[in-house]
Amino acid sequence: MTDHRQDRSALPKPSGPYPPTEEMLAEPVPEEVRQAQAERLRKVWATPKGIRYWTAVNNSEVGKWYCLTALVFMLLAGVMALLIRAQLAFPESELISADRFNQLFTMHGSAMMFLFAVPMFEAISILLLPGMLGARDMPFPRLSAFGYWCFLIGGVFVIGSIFFDAAPRAGWFMYPPLATEDEGPGSDIWLLGLSFIEVASIAAAVELIVGTLKCRPPGMRVNIMPLYAWYVMVVGGMILFAFPPLIAGDFLFELERSFDWPFFDPERGGDPMLWQHLFWIFGHPEVYIIFLPSIAIAAMIIPTVARRPIVGYSWIVLSAVGTGFLSFGLWVHHMFTTGLPSISLGFFSAASEAVVIPTGVQIFAFLATLMVGRVKMTLPMLWIAGALAIFTMGGLTGVMLALAPFDFQAHDTYFVVAHLHYTLFGGMVFPVIAGVYYFFPFIQKKQLSERLGRWAFWLIFCGFNLTFLPMHLTGLWGMPRRIYTYPTGLGWDGLNLISTVGAFIIATGFAVFVWDLVRPKRRQPQIERNPWEAGTLEWTHDVPEEAWGIRSIPHVTSRYPLWDQPEMQARIDAGRYYLPDAVEGRRETLVTSVIDAEPIQVQRVTGPAWITQAAAGFTGGAFIFPTFHWYPPAIVCAVLAVCCIIYWLWTSTARVPEAPSKDAGLGLTLPTYASGHASVGWWAMWITMLGDATAFASLVFGFFFYWTSQADFPPEGAMHAEAGLVGLAGVGLALSWALTLGARELNRRWAVGAARACLAVAPFLAAGGVAALLLSVWELAPETHVYPAVLWALAIWITVHAGAGVIMQLYCLAGSLFGKLTPVYDADIWNVSLYWHFQVLAALVTCAVMGLAPGVL
Amino acid sequence: MSERKEQLEEFAEERASLLKITTGPLIWAIHFVICYGLVAVNCAKGWDIGMARTGLLVFSVGALVAIVWVGWGSWRQWNLHETGDYFNSWGRAEDRHHFLGHAAFLLAIISFLGVVFVSLPLVMLGGCS
Repeated sequence: MTDHRQDRSALPKPSGPYPPTEEMLAEPVPEEVRQAQAERLRKVWATPKGIRYWTAVNNSEVGKWYCLTALVFMLLAGVMALLIRAQLAFPESELISADRFNQLFTMHGSAMMFLFAVPMFEAISILLLPGMLGARDMPFPRLSAFGYWCFLIGGVFVIGSIFFDAAPRAGWFMYPPLATEDEGPGSDIWLLGLSFIEVASIAAAVELIVGTLKCRPPGMRVNIMPLYAWYVMVVGGMILFAFPPLIAGDFLFELERSFDWPFFDPERGGDPMLWQHLFWIFGHPEVYIIFLPSIAIAAMIIPTVARRPIVGYSWIVLSAVGTGFLSFGLWVHHMFTTGLPSISLGFFSAASEAVVIPTGVQIFAFLATLMVGRVKMTLPMLWIAGALAIFTMGGLTGVMLALAPFDFQAHDTYFVVAHLHYTLFGGMVFPVIAGVYYFFPFIQKKQLSERLGRWAFWLIFCGFNLTFLPMHLTGLWGMPRRIYTYPTGLGWDGLNLISTVGAFIIATGFAVFVWDLVRPKRRQPQIERNPWEAGTLEWTHDVPEEAWGIRSIPHVTSRYPLWDQPEMQARIDAGRYYLPDAVEGRRETLVTSVIDAEPIQVQRVTGPAWITQAAAGFTGGAFIFPTFHWYPPAIVCAVLAVCCIIYWLWTSTARVPEAPSKDAGLGLTLPTYASGHASVGWWAMWITMLGDATAFASLVFGFFFYWTSQADFPPEGAMHAEAGLVGLAGVGLALSWALTLGARELNRRWAVGAARACLAVAPFLAAGGVAALLLSVWELAPETHVYPAVLWALAIWITVHAGAGVIMQLYCLAGSLFGKLTPVYDADIWNVSLYWHFQVLAALVTCAVMGLAPGVL
Repeated sequence: MSERKEQLEEFAEERASLLKITTGPLIWAIHFVICYGLVAVNCAKGWDIGMARTGLLVFSVGALVAIVWVGWGSWRQWNLHETGDYFNSWGRAEDRHHFLGHAAFLLAIISFLGVVFVSLPLVMLGGCS
């Protein structure tokens, strides 16, 4: 759509020979050149030492911290599970109080989901993906670091609450009214702490999607990229559509908790079911969000142990994409007993059964690969085998539960507990541990113990079945979930005792595994470079470790380059391929085109900094202080967080480069700057805004949901938003958008003065529009009924977004004044106008809903 | 000029292809949302469910036809008959082109089944109860 205008850009185009010929690649690199290049590269990518180590933003460091933090949270949540099981070992036990028990099971579920499963996927991907793609690093290293520090702060805050007897206690799905009316800060800790972490998750998703799309090595077309990358792309997309509804739900929920706006209170027109919908639109895809990347690990391990390419590559892509879509059609199967029309239940039952097809396809593709290969039963493969066995069991009970009449019987019993643990252990925990054993040589340049690994496997595998297999029976015999104790004589006693014993055996297995992971390995001999004889790029890593990611970025022509391109390893090491050097002393990685991975740009990436921690800390304050209703410090923190982020963007992103293009190796000259959709920043903005638009759509969905569920929405004689002011707001915001767009075009045509004028006027129009919007609802009392409350919520949403939009306009204005934004180097204003496209759409939809709905409904 | 045009065409093909593999599932998703939304509103407002059912069944047939059309296009793009290549595992433009056809074709099959599954309750279940 905008291509012709992009082409008028004065930025240079890639030039030089591509793809490289065999003769070019065969030409040796002189030894002294190679050494000098390696030395410069080593210096640029060096990990900071001493206290400054914590400023590192390298994917290898951040990924490790991320994984370890998620592991610690998992162990804590596991200890909670042990306490739960200890309490349930005997009937009428009084080991812990009912209140404590409620906190424990709520935190166990919340922590396992939000502090372990999803962050673990992101942690592993940040750690492994650049290696698999032969990239130096992710496109936005500081964003990963920011995400990590947010996760750490939020996680410690949420999980720490249990030590102060203040943890949430209404179940990990926080159903209102139980959770809305709960005394104490528990529910707020859950809502704000986890919203904060979700923001970090979305940041990581953006990073991972852009990394997969734009940072593949030259030649790695979409049909030959590692399956793990396909899964990351699908899961990243799912996060963008699944998490925002929960964030919108949290927003409404917190407004109800803090200001008594009755979104979920039926007495004032609200509806608790809206929360269930928003929660499960997130909650069900979530299960697949953690399942798919874990099974992706299996897709990397299986070809290696079978010593042949995976069978049915396209079929696995089909199942990843297919599962990604179908998993969104399942959310109501968590709500089968809420009294929805039977025909609606039918749709969701059907979709739940349909998702079995793609899920089954990938399992069969794995089995086929193993059958036709020459399998070496390595330790990682043992864990994968265990995973397939356990996951299949969980899948079978899933098919049972997807049938609405069966679900009516088994609903909220231990049968469900058994089912979900089978799918999560088989679908996530086992494959991830397999991945730890498999990738440990890549991550730490050491091997884990074969003997300890087998002990851990059998302890966890047997303990797991001992714990959860009997729960199918306890459930079918009627034992409800979430009860803190039970009377004797109902046939549950023996089964519960067995489950408790099993839980402690699992814990022993984990102790062995963790010991293996953390025991000192200094005296262990240096490992081989590619100990499993795998075929994918991450195994070209340097042993002993180098922080540069990859010595030079290769030209890839097959799915298993190490098997099919035998000279590749030596050429990478020699610096024969792309970007073998860091002449300007800048960290760089190669950016390629989305589908065919043709090199298009040398991307400068950010280096170590404290500013990311500062930004994360203040963002944390902005989320955490409101938990205790301390609003002034929260506002101060929010302002400081914005300042930190602006400083960080200003000093290190989209800087005018010292030369418009540079030699990328093998005779190829690439631009050092890109704007518009050639740039990674534009893609990041586009992807973020898709997620943001989903959250907004969820709010609008809420409005129409109340209309269907409540006979009196809007109530008789209700006050409406002032239509004239709503119209004015729409006009103001639309004009602000038009001026932003105009500024971009004028700037591109060298009319810099006019562009600056546009950027100077646009914020006033946005502010005016927002003022009109707020005035239009000013007289409405949001505590009285859900109708004024939802109008207020929409107005607040638009106000906050317009605020961000104004900051962006002023940022561009300042950029233009101080020479950061020029007619040639104009990435910032492209990204800002993209933001405003979404913003103007949201504003106009809001105005339509507010202004027109009273007349239409 | 001709070089620029070539670049534009390639970019257009890039975008079309990536979109194309999700066309089948997107049709499923739209079909699903419309079925669920329409029935939910009908039941909540006590409107005539019979009309909605008939309308949605016709719509289902339309969705299936659309998926078959997508599937046919992607079958031709996969071009198995002429190339005889099931795997497309090399980094050639042609392999990539065929691979995207193959993936889109398989996704069309899944989407077809998904639409059939979701339409079954419309045929088999009475109404709102």
